[in-house]
Amino acid sequence: MAESPLRARPALDGYNRSIGAVALAEVSGLALVSAAAPQGGDEAFAAALAGGLGAERPATGDSSAGDKFGARVLGMQPDQMFILFEPPDPDRPAETVSAALGGAAYVTDQTDSWAMLRVAGAGVRNALERICMLDLDDAAFPEGRVARTVMEHLAVIVLRDGADSFLLMSPRSSARSFLHAVELSVANLSQ
Amino acid sequence: MSGPYRIDGGAIDRGRSLAFRFDGRSLSGHPGDTLASALLANGVRLVGRSFKYHRPRGVFAAGSEEPNALVELRGGAWREPNTRATVAELFDGLEAFSQNYRGSLRRDLLAVNDLLAPFLSAGFYYKTFMWPKSFWEKVYEPVIRASAGLGRLSGEADPDSYDKGFLHCDLLIIGAGPAGLAAALAAGRSGARVILADEDFVMGGRLNAETHEVNGRSGADWAAEAVRELASMDRVRLLLRTAVTGAYDHGIYGALERRTDHLAAADGKPRQVLWRIYSKRTILAAGATERPIAFGGNDRPGVMLAGAVRAYANRFAVGAGRRVGVFTNNDDGWRTAVDLARKGVEVAAVIDARDCEPVAEVPGARALMGGRVTATRGRHGLKEVTLATGERIALDCLAVSGGWNPNVHLTCHHGGRPVWHDGIAAFVPGDRLPVGMTVAGAAGGAFNAAGTLTGGHGAAVEALDELGFSVAAGDPPGASDEATDVAPFWHVGESRGRAWLDLQNDVTVKDVEQAHREGFRSVEHLKRYTTLGMATDQGKTANVGALAIMAGQTGRSIAETGTTMFRPPYTPVPIAAFAGRSRGRDFRPTRLTPSHDWAAERGAVFVEAGAWLRAQWFPRPGETHWRQSVDREVLQTRGSVGICDVTTLGKIDIQGRDAAEFLNRIYANGFAKLAVGKVRYGLMLREDGIAYDDGTTARLGENHFIMTTTTVNAVLVFRNMEFARQCLWPGLDVHLISVTEQWAQFAVAGPNSRALLRKIVDPEHDISNEAFPFMACGEVGVCGGTPARLFRISFSGELAYEVAVPARYGEALMAALMAAGEEFGAVAYGTEALGVMRIEKGHAAANELNGQTTARMLGMQRMVSKNKDCIGNVLSERPEMNREDGLELTGFRPVDRSEELPSGAHFLATGAEAATENDEGWMTSVAWSPELGHSIGLGFIRNGHTRIGETVRAWDGLRGRDVAVEIVSAHFLDPDGERLRG
Amino acid sequence: MIIDHPLLGPRDAQEFVILGDASLIDRPDWQAGDAARQFHDYLHLRDNPAGEHRELWFHEQGDRSWLVVTRNTLTHEILKVELARDVAVARGRDR
Repeated sequence: MAESPLRARPALDGYNRSIGAVALAEVSGLALVSAAAPQGGDEAFAAALAGGLGAERPATGDSSAGDKFGARVLGMQPDQMFILFEPPDPDRPAETVSAALGGAAYVTDQTDSWAMLRVAGAGVRNALERICMLDLDDAAFPEGRVARTVMEHLAVIVLRDGADSFLLMSPRSSARSFLHAVELSVANLSQ
Repeated sequence: MSGPYRIDGGAIDRGRSLAFRFDGRSLSGHPGDTLASALLANGVRLVGRSFKYHRPRGVFAAGSEEPNALVELRGGAWREPNTRATVAELFDGLEAFSQNYRGSLRRDLLAVNDLLAPFLSAGFYYKTFMWPKSFWEKVYEPVIRASAGLGRLSGEADPDSYDKGFLHCDLLIIGAGPAGLAAALAAGRSGARVILADEDFVMGGRLNAETHEVNGRSGADWAAEAVRELASMDRVRLLLRTAVTGAYDHGIYGALERRTDHLAAADGKPRQVLWRIYSKRTILAAGATERPIAFGGNDRPGVMLAGAVRAYANRFAVGAGRRVGVFTNNDDGWRTAVDLARKGVEVAAVIDARDCEPVAEVPGARALMGGRVTATRGRHGLKEVTLATGERIALDCLAVSGGWNPNVHLTCHHGGRPVWHDGIAAFVPGDRLPVGMTVAGAAGGAFNAAGTLTGGHGAAVEALDELGFSVAAGDPPGASDEATDVAPFWHVGESRGRAWLDLQNDVTVKDVEQAHREGFRSVEHLKRYTTLGMATDQGKTANVGALAIMAGQTGRSIAETGTTMFRPPYTPVPIAAFAGRSRGRDFRPTRLTPSHDWAAERGAVFVEAGAWLRAQWFPRPGETHWRQSVDREVLQTRGSVGICDVTTLGKIDIQGRDAAEFLNRIYANGFAKLAVGKVRYGLMLREDGIAYDDGTTARLGENHFIMTTTTVNAVLVFRNMEFARQCLWPGLDVHLISVTEQWAQFAVAGPNSRALLRKIVDPEHDISNEAFPFMACGEVGVCGGTPARLFRISFSGELAYEVAVPARYGEALMAALMAAGEEFGAVAYGTEALGVMRIEKGHAAANELNGQTTARMLGMQRMVSKNKDCIGNVLSERPEMNREDGLELTGFRPVDRSEELPSGAHFLATGAEAATENDEGWMTSVAWSPELGHSIGLGFIRNGHTRIGETVRAWDGLRGRDVAVEIVSAHFLDPDGERLRG
Repeated sequence: MIIDHPLLGPRDAQEFVILGDASLIDRPDWQAGDAARQFHDYLHLRDNPAGEHRELWFHEQGDRSWLVVTRNTLTHEILKVELARDVAVARGRDR
């Protein structure tokens, strides 16, 4: 039997750097779990979100804050939410959500599927416009808005979590290419 | 003051001088100059040689329409040919070179072409380089290639970087002249999100080149003030040096921003950015381009467009000549004479082709009404013009105006055709504009300042209203109405010598007339036969004049003759800008497996599998050939245990009350009865019955499955399953989510795999053969509590498992597995060894699933259930796909075991001729089997299962191989599967 | 092109993958007497109209919805965008 538990390696090795006015930092420690409403179970699902996480069910493209586990519920698909939260047991995030929702949803752990990078600071939108085709204007993409899109051939989930702050999630296997794309966009703009 | 031709005024910064070199000669200019204006200021008139005849050429225009003054900029790897001197901003240290000559610019040896002109007329290529046929490639093509083109490429990789980007706005305004600025002010003040783009490096358009007054002040000052106000608005974005080059669907525009072309060095920043602009409404305020009049010798340096001469005087403080004449057919030409005279430049004569009263009093100038220029003289620059009357006038610059053409280009990008407008003798936008576009100002045919200002303002008000903005109060800016009468006049019939239409491609009036005589009656044919308008300037100054000549030949009006279409781009866009940052390593993203760094540290050789990099083999010291490494990995795995990162396989989490039923319909074989805790191999068909993917699916719970797909088909399978879920059976309760990235997965294969895993899997989980038999699966803990999934599946044919942990633990698990395996001599193996072992076991992979493969060919026809609905089962029953003598997958080995089998070889009967009708199938995969000690292969051959033991030939015409092979079972090793069940 | 997604608003067509004619929703009954003929027609016979065309698009780099986009193939004008699931249900598809 192995002597020591396995060491976890973050997707971006804890990357943290400021380029000009923009800070780029890997977000680790948060769990991400998908929750899908069974057919005919929309009401129970909404009730479970309210009861288990204290969150409203967001429309697709929106997100809502919960009052448990620091949760934010992201409306990814018409019948599928992503729940971003602080897991009490980092190795069993799906179980936490499953218990909170009391079986009202099909849950799947997505924590390790995505590298999470927060980019924040004045001018962050000017950097993102080099790779992101979404309109990130205040009116079109206010705080709390979420979207899955594509940047430099890579899938990216964009969550606006502040006036000048975006949480970007991109598949783990290509995380280094993704980080390079974001870094280059910021560097191309900075003086 | 720099340069003998400098005059007073202008928008240049005389306080600073910029040193530059042209053909090695040191010159100087000022900030605000273009290379063209600085050359003219220094009296440099000869700047290049023409494309075909190598005629001396000088600056002709003052903007992006320039056909003549094409130069090479910068040196070394930065050298850029065919750059228009009229848009190249001067900077300190600029190096420019003339192009397209042999010898020197002044004594170009290829000027002999001009003497051969009678033989080089339109279509000479097609007539001359016909015979003998043997000369096509050996003589004609090299000669043509040697003389084709203008500038020289550096031949080196472009050292600059480029980028792309995406912009969004309510209103895109193309062109920042009077119309564009008036529109932007109205929109900006109303709170709309505006992008104002202009290709120039100063906004204001013609206002900077004219002496108009706007709102009681100089046009240039008004424009500067307007730009200041716009720059202060945070919803307005000003894009200088940005050419909008194309109109695409649904309000999308392409634009090229030249960010560092005006600097000595890019300093690591992108030189150019190609923008994709999303607009709700667009105002095209692109202005107009002046056109010349064709007359004998009108290509000589010193013959220029009148509006350009005016721009050089008013904006750039340059007199284009010391003794200037104007040749015009319209009122606007007279403005050049008036402005030059005011600036103290001698104007010798205004020659107006119209029989009317002089339009203005020009001090010192003769007004020659009804006059026509028939010829010019001056070897490297204009010295004298001859009039139809025979009179000769000494001039060093002739400013020519044949009227103005609205810049309608972008209005045509969706198929709209411009229409002829007699009032201004020019084409104006037709009524089929790109959706969301309106046209304002000179681009729409409004040729006076007052009209452009009110037009721009009005277009913005209309667009804002449609967009739901309440329009800010305010009148449009005002300007005086100036006269703009024009009488069509295209060509001086009495001309002596050739009269040029297209200066860049050397197309003359005679060429157009000849094309007509030879039967080219449509404008599209004319264009292609004479190459008119097909150079880098796309005939901006040439096309309409040529159409008029053609119309004259046919006796039709210009309106009836019609015009050619414009396509993107409006101005040339470097290929580098289209590539953007997608160069070298950044061409596409790279996907790395969880054990990538671990493998790289151990010297693994990687192979691309789609975007993935996978370890192909792990060389050890002393191994000099890849086969040595691969053979060792195979033998050690089969002999003891090997570990392979298989994370790249697609993984899809499937949940729902109907998940089992859904899988039953996705796979050809049945899944409804798969027990919880078990894994099953599944074959997927396309709806046409052809096999396209396979993999294993594990049942983790009553309503919970985890599917694997092949690495390459992961995205396609997911897409097809979503289609089935949403569009075919929307009533099934089933949910899909990809977990390919979530789990790091490793194959642990070989007789010692269980012993190894016993050291990894936490002891409360019983993985004995009885408790965890072949095709079992379950959730376990590894290494002291890390959650994991264990599958007892085997691609190698050995006792084998796949173990998965959340991806963040993948690298550590790889190391832990190897450490635990040390006592067994565990090896890491790569995709080559994986391939060898699957061929030894007769497992199909991508080589076999090539889009033509039926279940029957794979020997899996019995798996395709006839008792349920599933994708592809109906059409898989087509008779041709089930012929008794159809192709079947079997194994092959060389009769002479020392021979290597050729993959891709076709099977022929012994003695049969290598002909299509004798083709019996082909070899799909080959490998060296270290266990068997000879080459083995898989392949499809007619009626294979009945022919075991037969000898055929594997014929490979490409490599010149012809090998006798024996048909054998595809299961080279352990045909009964005892090892994997042990 | 821009597709006005019924749930998400206008999105660049680059986020989507096109499949083709929306008639692919109408998959025949596998137990019909002439199932082979029906499947052949379903899979291989398509109209190719110069004008309005109903097409299936997948928002692969988005919310993973399949959409039915009614598009004029001559002008590229998009006249209507619907969730394909709704279209399928309305056409009687269920389990």
